[in-house]
Formats: sequence, structure tokens, C-alpha cells
Amino acid sequence: MIRIAAVGDLHYGEGSREILRPSLQHLQDRADLLLLAGDLTRCGGPEEVKVLADELRGLRVPVVAVLGNHDYHADREDEVRRVLEDARVRVLEGEATAIDVDGVRVGIAGTKGFGGGFRGAHGSDFGEPEMKAFVGHTKMLSDRLERVLAGLEADLRIALLHYSPIEATLEGERLEIYPFLGSYLLAEAVDNAGADLVLHGHAHHGVEKGRTPSGIAVRNVAQPVIRHAYNVYTLDAGRQLLPAAAGGIS
Amino acid sequence: MTEPRRPDYLPEAIREKLIHDPRVAEQDLRVEVREHRVMVGGNVSSPQLKQRITEVAKELLPEYEVVNEVTVVPAAEPDGEEPVS
Repeated sequence: MIRIAAVGDLHYGEGSREILRPSLQHLQDRADLLLLAGDLTRCGGPEEVKVLADELRGLRVPVVAVLGNHDYHADREDEVRRVLEDARVRVLEGEATAIDVDGVRVGIAGTKGFGGGFRGAHGSDFGEPEMKAFVGHTKMLSDRLERVLAGLEADLRIALLHYSPIEATLEGERLEIYPFLGSYLLAEAVDNAGADLVLHGHAHHGVEKGRTPSGIAVRNVAQPVIRHAYNVYTLDAGRQLLPAAAGGIS
Repeated sequence: MTEPRRPDYLPEAIREKLIHDPRVAEQDLRVEVREHRVMVGGNVSSPQLKQRITEVAKELLPEYEVVNEVTVVPAAEPDGEEPVS
């Protein structure tokens, strides 16, 4: 059983010191990995993410993150990424990583993702350049997510996002802002490539649980939603291997 | 603000200020204005951030009373774990 701790939308900045650290002390006894679903800072300042990096430094579980929209606000996302990497946090954007946990290869494909909306009401890359850029960005990130997720050789595969791939975890948010909270293109990418779990944040007034149209579990781990320092999800590494093993025996 | 906003647009002016002021930078706050009271709701991660919301709103509208109903979200360890598969 692989234990995945996850949280998003920590919004660190000056004044955040010690918010998370007391709750991280026992993390290594409770989880094998910590995944961060973006919006790690308030305004995207490297000095803000340094506060979080200092709290994560020395954790004995691997930490993997994607950035969120707040982390881009200062146009210093490269520096934000470097501060995290200096604290041994693996940051993914259209990339994947695989971590060995007691002989089980856990693959994580990550992207910030972006908005656009959901089936029947998605924006189109049509008309003004601004609209083409908006929806084009989502398409580009979704395509890349599908590619890296499909290419990930692992026993368990997790898609780590900031924006939501489905509407179900947005329940409680105002309908008018759904196009700014996520895009069905992210769900389509995950459904095409396959995964065991999808994690996202961004929707502070949403709910935790949902599924993609093909049935993959989606969890909104925005901190105001889970109302804990992190939540822990367990995945059975043997589940997918069983049919092949059974076939070999018979 | 360079000139007083019409009351109809005051909640949005405050919301914009709370988004763009780096002391707060919260996009998910609800703002209502009634009479001379500004009511702010939503979730933040620390008591300091909640206090800054009052400060920033007060700076923008010194003559208004700020009713800060923002909740500080707890960040304790989770109680258990959820088997997903």
C-alpha cells in the first residue's frame, strides 16, 4: 500500500512561518510521498516560497510539486522553482518523475493546467488573439500532460495539477467562474493516458471528491477544502498487476 | 481611489484591492457593503492574514466599519487516510 500525502493552495508568504511545520513532524510515519498541488505562494515571490522551502527542508519523504497561478504572479516562476529545487522538492511542469517506494515505482506527471471550462461550455481558441492565447494555453498543457502521463513507466500513476479537470470538485464555487477554475481538456488527457489518482487544488470553495468521466478518482486538496495540513490517500500497488499475474499462473 | 466610487461598485473595488494588495493577495473573499459597513467573508490560512484584511479595507474606506467574518482554516494533521484503490 502506497500512502500519498497531498495538499495545495498553501499560499505561503511573510507571516506564514510555522503554519505547516508542526503538522509535518510525523509525516514520515504517515506517508511515503508528499505532493503539492500549486499556489505555494501568495504573490509568486521567491522570498515567499523560501518560507515554505525552509519548512520542507529535512523532510524524510520525497516532495513533488506543481506551481499554481499565484506562483506566476510576480513573473519570477523560474526563481520560485529554483528555491524549491534547492530544498530537494521536484517541481513538474509538463514533466514526469518516478519514485521508488519499497520496490513500487510511483510515477507522477504534473502540470499547472489552466482554465477554459467544461463540456458544453468550454471556451474556444477562436476570435481575438487574447482568446486564442487563453484556450491555446490549456490545450498545449493538456496535450503535454497526456504525452508525459502515457509515457510514464510505473506501477502507479498520479496526475498532479493545480487547475481542476472536472466540475464535480468545484461544487460550492460560483458557476460564473468555472471557466477560470479548470478545463475538461485536463480530464480528457488523463482519461486517454490512464492514471490511478488525479490531484488538484485552486478551488477553495469546492469539495474534495470526484471522478473523471472514465472513473479515475479526483481529489481537490486545496487546503481550505481539506482543512488539514494534508490528506493521505492510499493506493494498492498490486491491484493493476493482479490480472497479469493471474494470467501467468493459469 | 482617485475619486469616490458609486456605492454599487464599492464591493468590487474592495475585492480588487484585496486581490492586488500583496499584504493579502486573496482571490476568494466575499465582500458586501451595507450602509457604512463592509462585510468580508471567506477563508485564509493565518490570523495575521485575517487582521491584514481589516487593515487594507480600512485604508481604502476609512469612514466605513469593517466586519471581518473571515475564517482561519485549521492546518492540523489529518485524522486518518482514505483508500482510493
